[in-house]
Amino acid sequence: MHSAAAADAAQDRDILALLQSGAVEPAFQLTLGRYQDKVYRLCCALLRDPSAAEDAAQESLVRIWKAIGSYDGRASLSTWIYAITRNRCLTAIERRRELASLSDDAVAAEAEAMAESHGAADDEPLEGSALLRELVDGLPERYRRTLTLFYYHDRSVSEVARMLAMPEGTVKTNLSRARAALAEQLRRRGLSDPRHWLETSP
Amino acid sequence: MSIDEFQPLDAALDAALARALVPPALPAGFPMRLQAALARQATGADERAVSRALAQREQRQRMAALDADYLQLRRRTLGTLIGGAFAAGAAVAVALPWLQASFGPNAIYVLAALGALVGIGIGTASWIGHLRLPKLLERL
Repeated sequence: MHSAAAADAAQDRDILALLQSGAVEPAFQLTLGRYQDKVYRLCCALLRDPSAAEDAAQESLVRIWKAIGSYDGRASLSTWIYAITRNRCLTAIERRRELASLSDDAVAAEAEAMAESHGAADDEPLEGSALLRELVDGLPERYRRTLTLFYYHDRSVSEVARMLAMPEGTVKTNLSRARAALAEQLRRRGLSDPRHWLETSP
Repeated sequence: MSIDEFQPLDAALDAALARALVPPALPAGFPMRLQAALARQATGADERAVSRALAQREQRQRMAALDADYLQLRRRTLGTLIGGAFAAGAAVAVALPWLQASFGPNAIYVLAALGALVGIGIGTASWIGHLRLPKLLERL
């Protein structure tokens, strides 16, 4: 894990060196290769909607392209990129809220119908991973984001901490509480031996 | 309980979560769409730079024209003042003998009254133009 972090840091230094030598376009292409997946995953975790996440990731990367020439290396590159991405996602969330507040009765009725059909699907038994994803979706937002990003990024606490701009200790606490909440949810679902179920369910 | 202190259930949950929460792959065509968006931005930036340069040149030309007009106005005002003073002197030199013949010793007061009337007339006309009184009267 440390060697991967060292390799990442070395690559960020390369990008900064390119920027300082005025090679902005190669620096951006290197940044793109290194961060576009991470940016997209962060957008997915924050927005929970692949289509909105794609839009937000694209907007974030365009912003990064516009601003990379003025990146001075005071903050680490990943911190800078994740801050831009988080801001884009927050803007998207705000926009979504505004649209929701503007919705009329017909939209509200449609949403209710969708919720009902979703509820009907809940009656069907879910397989292990599907049930687990559903339980994760039901977690409080801060636990869900932390947990999702943790598994999206090879269980790297430091990466998740940078992505969400929170201390590593908070990430660990959120992970621990999220797991405890999930275990509790599994027990509530009548699984007397959740461990056995987790190990055997597909 | 920290993530480093796994209980057996935690280990099972961890493995199950790793299976369930698979990182989403970039959508097909995302890099292509991104490159297209970057190209659009680059074109837009070029166009904005050209528009900005044109606007700045136009503004410089307008400022230069304004400066030239202002200088011309100052020169015209100065010319009018000097010309007006000489004309007034000439008019007094011409009119004073006739006024003295007509009004006697009061001729100088008549001349001053005429000068005052002309001054008040010009001043009033100027203020009417300045306050746009004719337009105000039209509205009423």
